[in-house]
Amino acid sequence: MGMRVTTCITAVVCTLLLTACGSFPRNPPLARYDPSAGYRFDQLEQGSNSDELFVILVFSGGGTRAAALSYGVLEALRDTRIQWKNQTISLLDEVDVISSISGGSFPAAYYALYGSRIFDEFPNRFLYRPVQTDLLKLALTPAGLLKLAGPSFGRSDLAAEFYDREVFGAGTYADVIAHRRRPFVILNATDMTIGAQFPFIQDQFDLLCSDLSGVSLGRAAAASSAFPGALTPLTFQNYAGTCGYRQPEWVDLAVKDHKSRVNVGRTARAERRLSYTDTEQAPRNYIHLTDGGVADNIGLREPLTAIASVNNSWSVLRLINLKKVNKLVVIVVNAATEPATNRDKTPDVPGLVDTVTAAATVPLDNYSFDTLEMLRKTVNEFNEEMRLISGCKALALGKGTQCALDIPAPHQIEFFPVEVAFEYIGPARERRWFKNLPTSFELPRETVDKLRTIARQVLSEDREFTRLMKALHGCLAVDGQRC
Amino acid sequence: MEYVKVTYPTNRFVYIDGEKSGSTNEVLRVDAGTHVFELGKRANYEPASQEVIVEGTTVLFPMAIAFVRKGG
Repeated sequence: MGMRVTTCITAVVCTLLLTACGSFPRNPPLARYDPSAGYRFDQLEQGSNSDELFVILVFSGGGTRAAALSYGVLEALRDTRIQWKNQTISLLDEVDVISSISGGSFPAAYYALYGSRIFDEFPNRFLYRPVQTDLLKLALTPAGLLKLAGPSFGRSDLAAEFYDREVFGAGTYADVIAHRRRPFVILNATDMTIGAQFPFIQDQFDLLCSDLSGVSLGRAAAASSAFPGALTPLTFQNYAGTCGYRQPEWVDLAVKDHKSRVNVGRTARAERRLSYTDTEQAPRNYIHLTDGGVADNIGLREPLTAIASVNNSWSVLRLINLKKVNKLVVIVVNAATEPATNRDKTPDVPGLVDTVTAAATVPLDNYSFDTLEMLRKTVNEFNEEMRLISGCKALALGKGTQCALDIPAPHQIEFFPVEVAFEYIGPARERRWFKNLPTSFELPRETVDKLRTIARQVLSEDREFTRLMKALHGCLAVDGQRC
Repeated sequence: MEYVKVTYPTNRFVYIDGEKSGSTNEVLRVDAGTHVFELGKRANYEPASQEVIVEGTTVLFPMAIAFVRKGG
């Protein structure tokens, strides 16, 4: 009898313990695919934000360092006055899209949820907070340890709960959709299996037949910043095949080009989309997302696709062809560092940690370099068109007015690629100091404030930003000076 | 970047791969590859659609894609 009671109690305790173990919160299924609903660029109301001046912000990864630098740029844009359509307005009011990675996703998500309240609340809610220590303490509590014992619940799930509770006030994409206003904020994570960017927008969640409106911003930010090793990937359920989803027309067309390789990038994008909706050959029941920086630590690849392709859910190229955009501004906030090392001061063979760290970070840094080069090439491509047409006209006209040519040109835009990075800090000593800041989710208050200040400084000194200010009769006050 | 010029006797919208992407008789930018060109729901034009591989164009020599009035 006693033995039986003990067994029963043990069974009950085990059951209770098992149920206490965490399991990832399910992303909700989508009842029915509806391209006119959900978090999509074309579903947001423009209000007074015009397409003619199209502004894209890109926030890189880099922990609190990146969050503070991006936040500093938001503050500077708020304070930038421009003359637009016979009115003096803030440049921040003209921002159309924000694409963010990892640390940069925190100010991006907060701005998506709370708009200008970010300037009163975000520093204390996130930037000045010892987030890393708070997360560690949370993981070491009995409740935290018990939750982490579950096989489908990791440290990033715990972090997501913390961000929901302490940073984003449990806000979900339903709250963001309810505002129906620009900017369209895209938090990016990385799909571990296909190594590609996974943006938190309904167009991506359609592939999973999942409803993004039921996903919290804390969870999206946690996925975007799930730094490999320190934080675990996050799991999302794939309900593909249950909502009547149809791929956009270009996907089949791009797949047709697989053999001819006429545009391998476009074909690869199409095939990646199909990997989510394949329910027969190689179904992917669960999608595991890690830090957005693994696929692109700048956050610029998705905007570059939108600028150079008509096959994108928020294609800027389509808007340009429709003559809606006249000025295109891309402001890249890049918090990349270049930590000093003593490696080359000694003949000693570099240690394992040093070697593995270099192997992990060097390809990422090189990829980021190439991503920024792609932006410059894209700008050149647009500028080259006009140079070519003008050159031909001038050559023909040189033969006499009877030879004047009327060459039809595509709609011309002015392109302003702006870059805010430590690399462009003038004084070498100051530049070195910023380039040696650690990647962490907590920084001293003074460091955060210095990052906010330097963001404004570098932005105001950027050559392209200066050109933009001239074009818009605008001004950004720095060092307490007035415009 | 590739360039196309979709021609039609009047000015109307051009749909590339099902999305409104510009107007007829103007040079449009498009990414390389196979695309479907149409002129929208008012089907008073022919052919009804054209599937074309766009590649090797320049801004000076866009690919010409011609539509005509139906029965015209």
